[in-house]
Amino acid sequence: MIRKKILLIGDFHVGKTSLIRRYVDHAFDDTYLTTIGVKISRKKLLLDHKEYELLIWDLEGATPQKSIPKTYYRGASGAVFVGDVSRLETIRNLDAHIAAFKEVNPDSVHVIAHNKADLLQLDQTNRFQNLENTFLTSAKEDINVDKIFTTLAKEIFHD
Amino acid sequence: MTNIQIILNAILSKNIFEYLLIDRELKVCHTSTGAHQYMEYALQKGDDIFMHMPEFLGSEDMLKEVFETKDFCYTFKTVQKNNYYMDVSLEYYNHDSALILLQNITKITEVQQKLLQHSNEATLLYRALQKIVDAQNALLFVTNSADEIEFANQSFLYYFHAENLDEIKEKSPKLYLHASRNIKSYNELHAYSEGREIDLTIGNDTFIMQSTAIEETHRLFTLSKVTDMYERTKSLEAEIEVDALTGVYRKKYFDLKLEQLLKEKDHFALIVVDIDNFKAINDNYGHTVGDEVLKEFSSLLRENIRQGDLVARWGGEEFLLTLKMDDFQKAMDRIEILRKTIAQHAFKHIRHLTASFGVSWREQCNCDDANSLLQRADEALYQAKNKGRNRVIAKEFEKRGNQCT
Repeated sequence: MIRKKILLIGDFHVGKTSLIRRYVDHAFDDTYLTTIGVKISRKKLLLDHKEYELLIWDLEGATPQKSIPKTYYRGASGAVFVGDVSRLETIRNLDAHIAAFKEVNPDSVHVIAHNKADLLQLDQTNRFQNLENTFLTSAKEDINVDKIFTTLAKEIFHD
Repeated sequence: MTNIQIILNAILSKNIFEYLLIDRELKVCHTSTGAHQYMEYALQKGDDIFMHMPEFLGSEDMLKEVFETKDFCYTFKTVQKNNYYMDVSLEYYNHDSALILLQNITKITEVQQKLLQHSNEATLLYRALQKIVDAQNALLFVTNSADEIEFANQSFLYYFHAENLDEIKEKSPKLYLHASRNIKSYNELHAYSEGREIDLTIGNDTFIMQSTAIEETHRLFTLSKVTDMYERTKSLEAEIEVDALTGVYRKKYFDLKLEQLLKEKDHFALIVVDIDNFKAINDNYGHTVGDEVLKEFSSLLRENIRQGDLVARWGGEEFLLTLKMDDFQKAMDRIEILRKTIAQHAFKHIRHLTASFGVSWREQCNCDDANSLLQRADEALYQAKNKGRNRVIAKEFEKRGNQCT
């Protein structure tokens, strides 16, 4: 079975752990428990009748005091960059996270999750980019969660 | 037994370190007794290392290098496995084996996690408050006990063309210098303004400023820009209070201002001015010319009084003036100049006209009220008309017993 390492990267409290929990365990908990260090979750998936495994690294979020150690980036095939639509600075910071990740993994692929979409009114969703690899997601309402991971997985495994 | 094993055994007895040894095929070949507790699956010799340690996936190059380099050591910091936190180190053991050392750091990491949680929650709260403060249109800033600006919101930075707080600190704007009084510090400004609103004019902008103490050491200043509101109010006031034909104030507004003057207890002259023989102008030239004469006459009055003095139209061809002067005779001289200016002025349609002036003088602390002042000035005007017009007559205040001091 082919296994690949992917990362969830973004500022703290944008919902990285919740997205993984929704994707891997089909569960959601509203309580904020900050992640420290890294935790790896496994997820098997079938693509074109073949079984693959994603090793999903849930990284401690970047804070004003501490950036994400680049040693975690090593050997990753892809990443989900996560921002919180209710804190636009976390969306603005995504470019810097992507650049830092691509420096270590120039050939990797990525998707962008504009998370906590459940907090937006319908007309507010138009303000967010609707690009090919960018999705409005909600771990709470289970919006586009499978989609971001399968989109990324397809790009990784088909490559 | 090698030295490293002796050292390891000593450390392992404290239940802090566990280890796995792997061979060149990346299979588990030896483990410490407690290593299994950190693993998701049952740990057996011959297992693929990636099954138990997925952390090494993507680091295959390192796993090759470790067998060849004696001082090789690489550590994954703070990895969560099976509800434990550990630092996972990969080290050279011998030519055929590599050591994976698992250092249990759960207790200290749980403390760090709680601290990080508090810190992150505090950051979220701080940022939310910052956004609220920055969303205010008012200029907000906080000064410290050293009288320096320590915090300012976005509106404040924008107004003073600063990118950030450091720039503001460097510029150190001394807004207290814009207060009308001789104030030399923010602390003095706070003492002067505490509990009330004061006006502050910076350049062309007018602000209403409030100051609040934050604890003993800091002061919060709030500046709300009211320039536009002031201008709109002035414009509305002008529309309501100004006589449409002549552009001078109406009697109603004059009465209000007269009451204010009386409260100030200053000396001033109140003058009733009447254009002589105005009826003849209307009769001979028509009412349109009469209106033009009234406009030109009003302009002449306005041009020949000082800022702070007042001119209003009482009705018809009759006007009211106030002149602030500290001496009665000086006021009379000034009014006489005004009379001559009118008499010598070349009016557009009728060439010449004259006006009569009735004056009442307001002494400091006397008992005059608006009515008595107007009545005396009107009586004086009557005398001026009777004595042949084109003259200035004053009527003095009559003291009644001990009423006036």
